Amino acid sequence: MPNLDAVSRELMLDSLREYAKRRLPFDYLRENDEKNRFPEEILREMYDIDVMGIHLLLIPKEYGGLGGSTFDIYRVCEALARIDLGVATSVFATFLGTDPLKVGGTEEQKKKWMSRIANEKLLVAYAATEADAGSDLVNLRTRAEHITKNGKLVGYKINGNKQWISNGGVADILTVLALAPGGPSWFIVEKTAEGFSANKHEDKHGIRLSNTAGLSFDDVIVPADQLIGEAEGQGLSQAQAVFGYTRLMVAAFGLGAGWEALETAIRYSQQRIQAGGQLSEKQGYTHKLLVPHAVRLTAARAYIEEVANKLDGGDHGLQTEGAIGKYYATEAGNKAAEDSIQALGGYGYTRDFSPEKIKRDVKITCIYEGTNEIMEMTICRGRWQEHLKSRGGYYAAIASEMDALHASSPDVGADACACGLRALGRVLEECRVQKLTRHQHVMFSLGSLIAEAEVAAAMCRVAASKNPSPTHRLDRDALKAIARVSARESAFNLASKGLKLVTGSAPAGVGALAEGMELPQIEAKQHGNTADMDLIAAKLNEYFKAK
Amino acid sequence: MRIAVCIKQVPDSTRVKVDPQTGTLIRAGVPSILNPYDHYALEQALKLKKHHAGAELIVLSMGPPQAVSIMRLALALGADKGILLSDRAFAGSDTWATSYALALGLRKIGHIDLVLCGQMAIDGDTAQTGPAIAQQLRIPQITFCDSVSVSGRKLTAKQHIDGGHQVVEAALPVLCTMTMPHDYQPAYPAFLKIMQAQDKPFETWTAQDIGADTSCLGLEGSPTRVDRIFAPPAREKGEVFEGGAAELAQKLLEILRQENVLKP
Repeated sequence: MPNLDAVSRELMLDSLREYAKRRLPFDYLRENDEKNRFPEEILREMYDIDVMGIHLLLIPKEYGGLGGSTFDIYRVCEALARIDLGVATSVFATFLGTDPLKVGGTEEQKKKWMSRIANEKLLVAYAATEADAGSDLVNLRTRAEHITKNGKLVGYKINGNKQWISNGGVADILTVLALAPGGPSWFIVEKTAEGFSANKHEDKHGIRLSNTAGLSFDDVIVPADQLIGEAEGQGLSQAQAVFGYTRLMVAAFGLGAGWEALETAIRYSQQRIQAGGQLSEKQGYTHKLLVPHAVRLTAARAYIEEVANKLDGGDHGLQTEGAIGKYYATEAGNKAAEDSIQALGGYGYTRDFSPEKIKRDVKITCIYEGTNEIMEMTICRGRWQEHLKSRGGYYAAIASEMDALHASSPDVGADACACGLRALGRVLEECRVQKLTRHQHVMFSLGSLIAEAEVAAAMCRVAASKNPSPTHRLDRDALKAIARVSARESAFNLASKGLKLVTGSAPAGVGALAEGMELPQIEAKQHGNTADMDLIAAKLNEYFKAK
Repeated sequence: MRIAVCIKQVPDSTRVKVDPQTGTLIRAGVPSILNPYDHYALEQALKLKKHHAGAELIVLSMGPPQAVSIMRLALALGADKGILLSDRAFAGSDTWATSYALALGLRKIGHIDLVLCGQMAIDGDTAQTGPAIAQQLRIPQITFCDSVSVSGRKLTAKQHIDGGHQVVEAALPVLCTMTMPHDYQPAYPAFLKIMQAQDKPFETWTAQDIGADTSCLGLEGSPTRVDRIFAPPAREKGEVFEGGAAELAQKLLEILRQENVLKP
């Protein structure tokens, strides 16, 4: 049983949106963005349990929190991103900073620190990154040496530097990754600790309302009971244990920011009259600047919700799935924001309208919590193993599932999706036979193709469902059209890009591969695509009316 | 003291548009909210509850099962118990049939000292349901109240009237409909309160549960018929003049003559 039901979740989102309407209007955000100012008072208010208490979502019930599910947290992250990604990042940093404790803390540590975080409006930071240690933490330089007294370990002395730490300059509590004698380990450090200092707030391209700072640890002494889990060497596994879940939060950021930008463009297009008609009525505009983003963002949501439900259902890890969600949704959000500037024309290029800021903000989602190139690698590695283990059957199985789906729901594009999945399976197999994954370019590109295939399948499942999640805010006809467009696109890309990738990298010819790709079928399945885009454009105008 | 607040879930009418061709409301993508007048009435009731130790606050609504969300909102804001009248038999009820059902619901709750309603719902703007409930319950009513207070068995209401306020007193039990200040900002609950509201008592009652005569409900029990819905023609923008009193009076006179309202 989840702690919060759907009604409660929606009420929380309402409370958050109402709060933002009053306290975080665009002019306020814009001013802070311009001044590169972290609105500390807002964060403290959001952590005030009598005002909002948003941070309680990540704290288990037994320590005074709400024990929110992954689904709850994805929804709140999305809503935060629609308001301001800087504020969202600051909240996220607290979520992230609490995670090592949640995953690896002893009962006593959890009780002490979680209760404090729940009740004292504390800002938390997660300090892992260093100059030479980002996605690759092997080169971690920050050290934690033993302090002993009468032969007994009483504490640690931490020395080193961290960089690009969200909340770094403002956090009351930091969870810090340092190399202890027994290996990388997480430590809880309070900002009042002697020898700890934060550098200046970085002057960033976007998320300027989020404090980002470098940290210095100069003989910072930490009591032994502030080593998370009270066992050394657990740091990396504790960090990795939550990647599936934390990356889904960043996926939700991409989704929220992308939808915010897209909705702004949709509403604008109904008001702007050019050449005798609304832009919203012009295919050249809608089918380039609006519809493709609505398709990608809707499919991204389908995937995020599928993974969130799996995590809440008890599946562990799901690192590959988290990476797919993060990769796909943040790329989609970034592109949607980019095109929303274009959609608003000259207005879009000014700071008076939100797309300009959203575009600068959303870019970070392609970078932090593992760059999207690291995601491509993670995705490929994860699924490559599945491909090998199943002797090439992994995607054949999903393709069969799509075939069955097509038999029961012939109008959701599952047939096209199945063709794409089979093409992907063949590409992977050819890569195995010709040993092509030795090319990093091939690996990363495969990661991207895999993401596209799996997201399209998730979208088909949603469109075929009798009760699609109301979070999509579109009716079933719209969702079905979106699924068809997304499936056709993915099939086309998987076949053509896959073929190009293999042909471009293989030493020998790949004639047989092309023949096995069902290219004529994939071509035939493109039939009706423009009509579907017309339908989606009309639905977007119906559902996102200009105010 | 026992207070009941009648609440309604409505489409956020600030975001509803009328289809100019069909005259029907375009509901696509429009969120449902707690009627703002009811929200205000609820907050006034919560203030009373705070000042009267042991007071109990019950919220009552009639609507589809989705209306559970406004019940939860009310519970999260501090109501003690929620009752939702939900039954197909209620569908299509006008203000009279609705007030019949709500009055039966209130009777079933038992002893109640004070009933608060919003002045009107923003989806219909009739302002009839509150007064009709009082009529069906045969208790006094005070409409258009800004605020109410209770001392002993006496209620004092600040009632909004043209050009000002009047203070009205009544013996309990009484029903008041509440109007809201133009700058009213509804309160929204903190996350913890929302979770706690999950465990507060909440019941759904059918037409049978409240002993309703189904011929008095739904379309059959509704004397009102909607003939046509249409968007009123957009009003032209007015003109604003500034200046001293004498100057403005002169200007006004000029315009009245121009428009042939006054003979030159």
